[in-house]
Amino acid sequence: MNNVKIDIQGLNVWFGSKHVIKDVNMKIKPNAVTAVMGPSGCGKTTLIRAIDRLNELIRGSKTTGEIYIDKESVYSKDTDIFELRRLVGMVFQKPNPFPKSIYENIAFGPKLHKMASGEELDAIVEKSLKGGALWDEVKDRLTDNAFNLSGGQQQRLCIARALAVEPDIILMDEPCSALDPAATAKVESLIRELAKNYTVIIVTHNLQQAARVSDFTAFMYVGQLVEYGSTNRVFEKPESELAEQYITGKFG
Amino acid sequence: MTRLLDVGLEQLTMMVYKSGEVAESAINMSIRGFMNGKDVTEAVRELSDIIGAMTVEIENKAFELIVKYQPVASDLRIINSYMKIAYDFERYGRYAWDISFTHKKLADLDECAVSLDLMPKLIEKVSEMVSKSVEALREHDAELAKTLADTEIEVDELYFACLDQLSKARGRSKCVTCNLLVSRYLERIADHTTYVGEAIVYIATGEKISLR
Repeated sequence: MNNVKIDIQGLNVWFGSKHVIKDVNMKIKPNAVTAVMGPSGCGKTTLIRAIDRLNELIRGSKTTGEIYIDKESVYSKDTDIFELRRLVGMVFQKPNPFPKSIYENIAFGPKLHKMASGEELDAIVEKSLKGGALWDEVKDRLTDNAFNLSGGQQQRLCIARALAVEPDIILMDEPCSALDPAATAKVESLIRELAKNYTVIIVTHNLQQAARVSDFTAFMYVGQLVEYGSTNRVFEKPESELAEQYITGKFG
Repeated sequence: MTRLLDVGLEQLTMMVYKSGEVAESAINMSIRGFMNGKDVTEAVRELSDIIGAMTVEIENKAFELIVKYQPVASDLRIINSYMKIAYDFERYGRYAWDISFTHKKLADLDECAVSLDLMPKLIEKVSEMVSKSVEALREHDAELAKTLADTEIEVDELYFACLDQLSKARGRSKCVTCNLLVSRYLERIADHTTYVGEAIVYIATGEKISLR
């Protein structure tokens, strides 16, 4: 695969004695949506959390292998983790806005990274909310508490919050699992929009969602990457019997 | 545990198999009528209408399964291919009726079939292809389906040889016209058997190939 944004090489992750990711090699393209699917416990979330080194926050975790972002090592001892986590935004399963105003939720990251203040910060907030397809709905109530937003709006706020620190990569862990169909449709449209400017990786249990939003699909099973290719190909003609059985609902 | 989709797929499969059986019967009936100088137009028309109605039912069932279960991979390939195959079987039935109708309308029923030397051979080859297409479907047998390509070449050669003979025929212009049209209908049936074959290969392997 030419034009690689994230290059995962021989990645292994353990939690204590449990070997969760087993020798995964994967090249992820920029400005595309890559979906990671597989049965519960197969290592999907651990795989994407390895990209921004979030697994290290879990006591007893151990990682070997390498991940390169734009050919820069993620696991080098010189890596600035603070900068890494600015570069790699994360959106979680359940919307998790801060108990602050809509404005403050977005401004929090840029302030922390000392990126802007005053009018410049206002511009970042507006741009990020527009990027999160939320601006039109909240522009007249930016001082409202974020908890007053609906679940779907809260999730788009979290996406906008991730955009505010100008990342290159956005990781999404089941971003629509807590949303109703209408809110899910909005977030899915947003994901496609984001792919124009960002590298998006989405973990999902929803196969149809993977088929709808992604350009590439990876299928994991018991910590191994079993199948990886263009979404159209994987959903029309999977190469592995395991992937065929999983996506046709014959197991998992 | 049986998937809900499996129940629907089983029903769809039975519908397509049945359509194939009726289509094969329609072709055999029309060919026998043609060879034996019998008017079977109405009986073939009934079968053709039945196949047409079954095609609509198959499409409806396929849409129902797509809407309800959003199938992917081999499930999706089967549903998509069955819709195509149902249409090809509808064409089998329609050409069968065309043969009977043309024969009745244009020809002296008991004389035209034997007025073209190559016609029995053409009929034999096309009948073989129809049977093979229905059998390959039942077994999802890609290898058997692929053999349709060779017979298709033979049918094309026979068809062009028929045209050559007919262009040189003298007298009995109704028979010439009848044989011209019937040989054309047979050649088109052979084409549709290859479409069925291509769909079977796609179901079985995911490969999109041409058998023509």
